Amino acid sequence: MKILPLVINNLNFNISNNKILKDINLNSNEKKITIIAGNNGSGKSTLLKILHGLIETPRNTIQWGGFSIPEIKHSQSMVFQSPILLNRTTYDNLLYVVKNKKIKDKYYIDKIVEKLNLKSIEKVNTKYISGGERQKVAIAMSIIGDPKIIFLDEPTSQLDPAYKNEIEGIIKDLAENETKIFMTSHDIAQIKRIGKEMIFLDKGEVIYNNTVEKFFKDEQSELIESYIHYG
Amino acid sequence: MLINILETAFNLIITFDKDLFEIIGLSLKVTMSALIIAVTISIPFGAYLVFFKNKLQNLVVLFSNTLMGMPPVVLGLLIYTLVSKKGIFGFLDILYTPTAMILAQTLLIIPIVVSLTYEEIYKKNKEYNLLLNSLNLSRLTKLKTLVYESRYALITVALTGFGRASAEVGAVMIVGGNINHFTRVMTTSIAFETSKGSIELAVALGLILITISFIITLLIKSLRKIS
Repeated sequence: MKILPLVINNLNFNISNNKILKDINLNSNEKKITIIAGNNGSGKSTLLKILHGLIETPRNTIQWGGFSIPEIKHSQSMVFQSPILLNRTTYDNLLYVVKNKKIKDKYYIDKIVEKLNLKSIEKVNTKYISGGERQKVAIAMSIIGDPKIIFLDEPTSQLDPAYKNEIEGIIKDLAENETKIFMTSHDIAQIKRIGKEMIFLDKGEVIYNNTVEKFFKDEQSELIESYIHYG
Repeated sequence: MLINILETAFNLIITFDKDLFEIIGLSLKVTMSALIIAVTISIPFGAYLVFFKNKLQNLVVLFSNTLMGMPPVVLGLLIYTLVSKKGIFGFLDILYTPTAMILAQTLLIIPIVVSLTYEEIYKKNKEYNLLLNSLNLSRLTKLKTLVYESRYALITVALTGFGRASAEVGAVMIVGGNINHFTRVMTTSIAFETSKGSIELAVALGLILITISFIITLLIKSLRKIS
């Protein structure tokens, strides 16, 4: 299933009379990591949720390689800023996703546990693990079934440098293995380290869409320069 | 005098008095049957309500909350008019039988379980909604997950229903008739025995009721801790 290009046609999204996203038009062919950045309230998380189908939009507004969101939903997953985990052990959280994705391989969870280095917390209820571990479990759940697209909403914003480094490694590894990553981030150093494409939003509008390299190299608007400077 | 009454009451309990335990047995049978029926209907219904984001949902919740506060004696009267010989369900011939008492207690518990289940599942849905939608699950799978994740809270909901039904007197008195060896349960028996001055049996039953209530409270407290 070909998921690129991602085409967005005239995407608008309002809550009551408040315009959250305005006239977004995009055509993206980036295969690896696309960063969605912007100040608080710029619409980053909303855009991510719309791309994942958690917020419905008119049909044909968004096309993934010619497919609509419902057609491609089973090939997507998402990791939220505050990881959402069931009140069960790490193993049972993974088992829940494996069962619902009807994966038959009985060693599948073991492979995921090993890949993400979760052995030490495998039998621990996720209520009792640290923030970084929770985020790793959430990422582990998101990669079950090898989705073609993963959305990450500020996945490292609450983590210490060690976990940040570990999770960035996992994200880079996923992108290298042909998983398309969409990720929101405020962390300029992180964006420079792993980002390939940049979508910059301001008050619901896309004001920059090009490579991350150009984002930092070229002269930008005052708003973006200020974002880079203080980021 | 009080000591004598208590002594006789304890004696009835520790000697497993036949009449006393017949009443306790019937009480538990009626209340447990009502609870099982009510929970089987109300938990899926209350949970499913969470998925309806419209006026119907608000209306059902409002109606259910209103019925929670309905005096049992009014409910008993309503069932009486329905199942008495002249009532529209008179042909069922269940008035003054344990079946009518089960019906009364079931209807008494249903609004409680529906309202409290809805509240619990609503909270859990808020917590897990994004994850469950992200996993692209069917509505039935979501429902099962939310019920499972709320399991301890839902047991306390059921216990609350049990507590309410087992302590109720008005409705079962009206539809059961308090017939000796047939429809006499703990609460109706306490009222009856007290009115005729036979206070010892009433006190013994009262002690059992208090013990049941204490056990329920303890269970609810520990389940709340777990959940």
